[in-house]
Amino acid sequence: MSAYYPTMGLEVHAELLTNSKVFCTCSAEFGGAPNSRCCPVCSGLPGTLPVLNRRAVEYIIKAGYVMNCDISRFTKWDRKNYFYPDLPKAYQISQMPRPVCLAGTVNINVNGEEKVIRINRIHLEEDAGKLVHDDVNRISLADYNRCGIPLIEIVTEPDFHSADEVIAFMEKIRLLLQYAGICDCKMEQGSIRCDVNISIAPKGSDELGTRTEMKNLNSLKAIAKAIEIEIERQEEILDNGEKVIQQTRRFNEALGETTAMRSKEDAQDYRYFPDPDIPPIIFTEEELEAIRLSIPELPEQRVERYVSEYGINKKDADIIVGDKRICDFFDEAISEYNNPKAVANYVIGELMRRINLGEADMDNLRFGGREFAQLVEYMQTDKVSQANAKTILREMIENGGTPKEIADRGDLWIKEDNDLLAKTVDEIIANNPKAAEQYRGGDQKVFGFFMGQANKALKGAASPKAIQEYIRKKLSE
Amino acid sequence: MAIDTNTIRHLCELSKLDYDENGLEKVRDEMSDIIDLMDTIKSFDLTYDDTKDNNSIKFSETREDAALPSFPTEKLLANAENTDGCYVVPKVVE
Amino acid sequence: MDITRAKIRELRKALDGKEIGAEELCGEYFKKIKVTDPKLLSYITVTEDKAKEMAAAAQKLIDEGKSSALTGIPLAIKDNICVEGVRTTCSSKMLENFVPPYNATVIEKLNAEGYVLLGKTSMDEFAMGGSNQTSAFAKTKNPYDTERVPGGSSGGSAAAVSASLAPAALGSDTGGSIRQPSAFCGVTGIKPTYGRVSRYGLVAFASSLDQIGPICSDARDCAVMLNAICGQDAHDATSARVGVPDFTAKLGQPVKGMKIAMPKEFFSDDIDNDVKAAVENAAKSLEAQGAELVECSIPGLKYAIPAYYLIACAEAASNLSRFDGIKYGFRGEGRTFEELIRDSRSKGFGEEVKRRILLGNYALSSGYFDAYYKKALALKQEIIKEYSEVFELADVILTPTAPTPAYKIGAQDNDPVKMYMADICTVTVNIATLPGISTTCGYTAEGLPIGMSIIGKRFDEQTILQCADAFEQGFEPVAPKL
Repeated sequence: MSAYYPTMGLEVHAELLTNSKVFCTCSAEFGGAPNSRCCPVCSGLPGTLPVLNRRAVEYIIKAGYVMNCDISRFTKWDRKNYFYPDLPKAYQISQMPRPVCLAGTVNINVNGEEKVIRINRIHLEEDAGKLVHDDVNRISLADYNRCGIPLIEIVTEPDFHSADEVIAFMEKIRLLLQYAGICDCKMEQGSIRCDVNISIAPKGSDELGTRTEMKNLNSLKAIAKAIEIEIERQEEILDNGEKVIQQTRRFNEALGETTAMRSKEDAQDYRYFPDPDIPPIIFTEEELEAIRLSIPELPEQRVERYVSEYGINKKDADIIVGDKRICDFFDEAISEYNNPKAVANYVIGELMRRINLGEADMDNLRFGGREFAQLVEYMQTDKVSQANAKTILREMIENGGTPKEIADRGDLWIKEDNDLLAKTVDEIIANNPKAAEQYRGGDQKVFGFFMGQANKALKGAASPKAIQEYIRKKLSE
Repeated sequence: MAIDTNTIRHLCELSKLDYDENGLEKVRDEMSDIIDLMDTIKSFDLTYDDTKDNNSIKFSETREDAALPSFPTEKLLANAENTDGCYVVPKVVE
Repeated sequence: MDITRAKIRELRKALDGKEIGAEELCGEYFKKIKVTDPKLLSYITVTEDKAKEMAAAAQKLIDEGKSSALTGIPLAIKDNICVEGVRTTCSSKMLENFVPPYNATVIEKLNAEGYVLLGKTSMDEFAMGGSNQTSAFAKTKNPYDTERVPGGSSGGSAAAVSASLAPAALGSDTGGSIRQPSAFCGVTGIKPTYGRVSRYGLVAFASSLDQIGPICSDARDCAVMLNAICGQDAHDATSARVGVPDFTAKLGQPVKGMKIAMPKEFFSDDIDNDVKAAVENAAKSLEAQGAELVECSIPGLKYAIPAYYLIACAEAASNLSRFDGIKYGFRGEGRTFEELIRDSRSKGFGEEVKRRILLGNYALSSGYFDAYYKKALALKQEIIKEYSEVFELADVILTPTAPTPAYKIGAQDNDPVKMYMADICTVTVNIATLPGISTTCGYTAEGLPIGMSIIGKRFDEQTILQCADAFEQGFEPVAPKL
């Protein structure tokens, strides 16, 4: 058991889903050939000027509302000055004394326990470009496509004391931002990024220890790992009677270690000052209210709707809401076939199972919620057997198409062929006299054996209900 | 003297400007005179209140979020040393 | 008659009346530039080939009867305003070979009128100076006395117009850079209200103070130029959302009853007696036309120089950080990014630019920000307040444009403090975001022009143009003898 208590705060950067960049009209889409999504403004040409994107401001206000922040009625932009080759103007437009959002809260659930994380502030800024290092020629290549993508920076209070809490928070704000429609939160593409400030102090101490800042955390796994090893590193330092140095550290996932980037002694003096090119903004109450009202249904509200309106259990509702793509898919499905419980069961039991197996991918699904709902309806109304439904779903995943087309093509409909049913079941019973005897002697378990044999042989030619009734009838004779 | 050699070195660091030793002394002396002149502002005793600036705009006066075609890459790079559509930067030391 | 001495509106008549063709007209200027400019060095780049093409296009418009105010009018452009495909140096080694791939908004507007580009005019490096002697290339001389400075930073534009090497030019004004060289060179230049003219494409010196404006031979031509270049611009968020009037509308209206304030701080012992006398005489002449002179005070003037230099240099330090040798401009040597940018900046920038970057970073750096930069912003608020109080009593304000007439080249070398103090008459107008026009109000015994400035309420360029014009109508200017 460790003698220390860790304390952490986060700085989370999230890219906003605007059409254009925050200060120019270039596309804000991810990727593109190097410097193909650039113009004189975002490339920092002399004489160019930034012009603020209204939707970026709207989105940060939404972010503020979903994290219960105070929204400033007066906000302005500042320049953060530093030289780096991914920053063509040599300053980043950001916000210092008057951010859009202040003082908020986010509720998280860690292993069943509710906890409140306080948000210090959220401000709007521009992203920097990307450098590709060519070690052979000792050069770097600068691509400014990402320059000027709007970013929000969410700064929390130091309210975290375990990696689990940090992960729970990241998952929670990922959902909040996705449901609010303002960030796709793809960590692997860097559209949401997280820096962690970590310090440790002896248990029972009121004072915080010296903190380090961890950068370059590209996945939740990396965050958890980096926190674990940084806490260990700091514990070792304190155990040896040494002092933790305040510094920025980079996590190297491949090596599983953190290395120092720069320490406080050479801490940068960013010389923040109000950007004279961007006028401050004053919001009216009506404008803020209109933005607040335009926020779509948030995750907690959806869970509530599923439980109270549809009677889905809380655990299943949490699972569906836990992935916005699935949740939207589910909502589309139940608009087609109003049987939320059955749809939920099949989403969780079959679709998500296949996703987890890597057979399906929500980002590249060849069918929509509507088609999925039709399949569930066919099953529920005994038009398709469960086994054939699986076959149909596999076909939909692999090649797309509607369940009707696939069932027609593969002759997968239940035909309620009573003659075939009778013939098949009679044969099975005749071929298994021992089992039939066992059942008649009161052993109900063998009923399942007959059902299985019949299903296999009939390949969906009869509905499970009809098979069941016929077997029961025959065995009772 | 308003500023010493260490301060001027720090300012050169922030500004990414280099001087040789003679140049540094000269610019330190010039900057000291300039800062003496600037220091006269210290006797002005009002404080700045950013809410009293009259340069703010309405939210509706910001730019509408519409993406327009970007600029030809070759034209952007025409004044730069470049390769493969990128700006060439000497190795960044961390 | 020498057509190069004609006003824009006279050239308009000559072009529309087919007395001269657009190509021939710009040719006249090029001839004169070849003969005279080697003595003055007002141009950095002369664009004769491009001008011929532009003139041909303009002539077509004229022939089709589609000409507007500036169609076929040759103009000179200060070399910190981006013209696509034309080298734009800011008189700095840093941008010696920089060719902008885009046009400034003012250039787009002039293109729409069918103007003809004569060339890019010299200036103080990055517009930092009042003498044109900080230029890395052409250290322009004063047409009235080539041993004297033309003023700055738009010294090339003012000298070119003064010597009839252009009928009019664009300059930029951050702390007097249109008005002071206009005064030194005996021409008329106006700094519009901050936000009147788009700054998009003007290489920034101090973004909250910079403003583009015309330098012409009189106020009437300034009005014609303003009509072409003003207006809100989607590329500049600080360009004002106000209507653009016809700036010629009030020209010729009598100044009877106009209240003209003369703040006493602008007539202190720091101002040359010659200058004071000339401005006071001009005031009397306006009074004789029925204007009313009002006494007033701008006490904040005593802090104006530090306030101006702290704000301007802080912004400049940040604005000029982008010059690192990577994307454009002078690329020094270095094995690492750090070495390369240090070398590029140390060799690419001149001494005055470097001093201002150092000063700006001093004002913004940790521990000094509140004492300098924020204090300067407080002073800006105070100066705005003092001016608005004066404008409750007066329609315009009359001051000298500079404490002295043009001084000898070298007189202020190695003395930045003296150089900064010389901006005392002009900087508060930029700080207060007001419009100001400088026109010639007299000559010294040696024949050097003396300028006076008329300052107006925000967005009231019409009244200062009217006032300057009223004075000019009764004033006989003396052309430089070259």
